[in-house]
Amino acid sequence: MALATNFFDAGFWDRVHGGSTHLPIALALTSALLDGIGSIAPSGKVREGFRFSGYFTLLLAALGAVPAVISGLMLTKWDAVGSGVTLLHHYFVWPSFGLLIALVAWRSIVRHRTSRIGFSIYLIAILTTAVLISIAGFWGGEMVLNR
Amino acid sequence: MMNIEIKALIAALLISGTVVGAFLGTARMVQSNPSMPSGKSAGQSSAIEGPKVAAGAKLFALNCAHCHGIDATGDEGPDLHKVAKTDERIKSTILNGVKGEMPAFAKKLTADDAATLVTFIRSLSAK
Repeated sequence: MALATNFFDAGFWDRVHGGSTHLPIALALTSALLDGIGSIAPSGKVREGFRFSGYFTLLLAALGAVPAVISGLMLTKWDAVGSGVTLLHHYFVWPSFGLLIALVAWRSIVRHRTSRIGFSIYLIAILTTAVLISIAGFWGGEMVLNR
Repeated sequence: MMNIEIKALIAALLISGTVVGAFLGTARMVQSNPSMPSGKSAGQSSAIEGPKVAAGAKLFALNCAHCHGIDATGDEGPDLHKVAKTDERIKSTILNGVKGEMPAFAKKLTADDAATLVTFIRSLSAK
């Protein structure tokens, strides 16, 4: 019983959060990059390939963000706001998480039926998400370094 | 074509709002319910008596448990159960840190927070 209690202590969630957050950050950046390349690719087939890869990595980023958020909440004892650097981290975590879920939902519904304008707006949104999630990761790193 | 995109946008916003709202709502619910596991915070709370000690335990879990251990028996930082320092000295250490050993928390915590943490640390030795 003592082992079970210690297994889920702050150190455990610290390690899980540290490990799991890198996946959605990397995948969101990759997705934005793939879709960016896809939007300027000349051939229809190549373009579709990049767009499919962009969608797939976005889906994985959104799925990966869920355990990252849950482990973060476990780490902070379900304090979704916090103070100091934690607060700064959360200022970027929640908007980027919301955007990530919204974008994957939008893309899953629309699929290939996107207009040029619609996809351009989507590209701006995924780039914004990638920037926000990266800044969240930066402040997360600052928390680790400032311990 | 735009029609499906706008409908999808509305659906996406609803889904996103629901997911994020569920997380934030759960966090708020857990935070406001002291009987749930997170309410116990650091030190397994067996020694928690009174709201100030409980508040100190929460501050400890968020700021100190990383180094001093979840039960304050020490990890990278020392065991805090038998601290042989005055309250003022402990407060000063929390706020100003120890060069090369412990970070300063003056930007993150107020003097009152430090005093609350001292109350919690003292409650550990009263076990």
